[in-house]
Amino acid sequence: MGQKAALETGNLSPWLERLRGKTPVMAPVKRGRVSFAFSWIGDAREVRLDYVRTVLPPKQALLPSREDLLTLRREPSLAAPVIADSPFVLFGIHPCDLAAINQLDWSMLKRHNVEDPFYLARRNAATIVALDCMPDKYCFCSSVGSCHTKGGADLLLTPIEAGYLVETLTAKGAALLRGAKTRAPKPEELKAAQAWPEEKVRRSTLRLGADVSELPRLFDSQHDSEIWEKTAQRCYGCGTCTNACPTCFCFDVREQPDLSLGAATRWRQYDSCQFLEFAIVAGGHNFRGRRPDRVRHRWFRKFVYLNREHGQPFCVGCGRCSQQCTAGISLVDVINSVVAEAKEGVA
Amino acid sequence: MTTSLVRSFPSRAGERLYAPEPARIVRTRKLTELERLFEIELNDGRELDHRPGQFVQVSVFGFGEAPISICSSPAKRGAFELCVRNMGGLTAAMHRLREGDVIGIRGPFGNGFPMQCMAKMDCLIVSGGIGMAPLRSVLTTVLADRDQFRRLILLYGSRTPGDILFADEIESWSQGGRNEVLLSVDRAAEGWDGHVGVVTTLFPKVKLDPKSTVVALCGPPVMYRFVLAELSALRVPDSQIFLSLERRMKCGMGKCGHCQIDDRCVCVDGPVFTAEEAKTLRESV
Repeated sequence: MGQKAALETGNLSPWLERLRGKTPVMAPVKRGRVSFAFSWIGDAREVRLDYVRTVLPPKQALLPSREDLLTLRREPSLAAPVIADSPFVLFGIHPCDLAAINQLDWSMLKRHNVEDPFYLARRNAATIVALDCMPDKYCFCSSVGSCHTKGGADLLLTPIEAGYLVETLTAKGAALLRGAKTRAPKPEELKAAQAWPEEKVRRSTLRLGADVSELPRLFDSQHDSEIWEKTAQRCYGCGTCTNACPTCFCFDVREQPDLSLGAATRWRQYDSCQFLEFAIVAGGHNFRGRRPDRVRHRWFRKFVYLNREHGQPFCVGCGRCSQQCTAGISLVDVINSVVAEAKEGVA
Repeated sequence: MTTSLVRSFPSRAGERLYAPEPARIVRTRKLTELERLFEIELNDGRELDHRPGQFVQVSVFGFGEAPISICSSPAKRGAFELCVRNMGGLTAAMHRLREGDVIGIRGPFGNGFPMQCMAKMDCLIVSGGIGMAPLRSVLTTVLADRDQFRRLILLYGSRTPGDILFADEIESWSQGGRNEVLLSVDRAAEGWDGHVGVVTTLFPKVKLDPKSTVVALCGPPVMYRFVLAELSALRVPDSQIFLSLERRMKCGMGKCGHCQIDDRCVCVDGPVFTAEEAKTLRESV
């Protein structure tokens, strides 16, 4: 592994077209005037690798926004799991989104020693082609350790003048690349690709005010800070942030019978800790009935609870939640206010 | 006293983790206007093999799943019992089911009450409302192996006399006066000549030795604050107080995020916590 090959721009579409002929391919495409989206592609020429971020993360390929879990029958009582394990290619995801998939691998497959069978099936069915990128003003991957992620991908593309330098990371990746017309990279191409990570960090201007390992302690000291009240006054509780997040994995489980009332489908769908009903129990008590509590929970779960449990924050610095927040709340601004107040000793 | 709350998962791994297994209602009876008791047997005849305080995810066809505490002792073999309050779509549908009807069961989930910590100790059970459901599994486990424990004291508060769960069993729980069973209601009704007041008003009626008392506690969130204050005044160590926390678990396996309290998942790390631990969790009650 680790072999490098050059893929010229003109050979990208034919390769993708060949891949698409064998298995479904999810890749970034243009949507509207300024947006990009991961989509199951119908034509390799629609694929656009010049995007900065998509509206929704590629998480949808592994943990769809709505996913059938079981088909149920009333008579005889029968519950059959719906396992989606057909191979597919997830093409052109940035290192931050790849880091997010590694986080999901932990939460869905390792956390509490339970392997979620539906996520496992999709994850094993995926071949992942990562694509290195340059940050914009919303990106802060360099502060959360996700800007050079390669682990979890099968191939890594780094843009070079002629097209892409392709690094083979796994046997699955090697097999995928066999369908592409590549050539040996020139020394200057290898050098250009090598310089990419350093340039990426140089261009990352948005930074967290503290090391992520310090965040649990700093946040804990600001549990009752005014910041949560102030942020909550701006927040609409719409859940866009959690929908757009590549690491959020909370879900609701629902069931509906068909018209015959003899069969039913049970599915899971994204849920949001920002919704009023999220922490309500049967007796009507809501453990996070106030919006400031729900707002605080989002930051604490990402930067304190799961950070302590897993040793990494559940945030990869992709910038989606800040860019798309309907109230214009910046995740980083809130973190940096917490850090500043904690360091000033404001209680 | 040191305690370790064990974790457990159903051993059936893999693809069927989210799939309920069919189970049959073998008996059901009305307990109060709101609650029914269901006696349930797994279709394959397997024992549920639970610990007191654990819960199962109950499926009712077409309505989905809800987490419900097991209210019988593991000492009861063959079938287990659920006490279900009619609160919404699924539980209302369950109340319409009758003997022979089939539901789905996943679990048991959660840690349960550590019965080994109660052995050779005075067991104080403090219950409010439907908190009696999980605590009945503790209580009947103590009763089934009575000599392993010292005193057994039940303080049980209900809203009205008509809300008292397992009213027909309470007489037998005192085992002819061996155990101290004290009931209270918030509001009396005609024919009630017992104690009136919230459950904490029963505390002056029992004399506790704080060092040798282990407490199992379950009730509405507001009850915890008052009972914990009472127990603290009586100098019962927080490490000897076990309380069960309610959350709306969707998966039971630490994935769905609904039962997260601070950095714990109630479905995996709980639902039973020591008061010592619960007090460090800022969102516990």
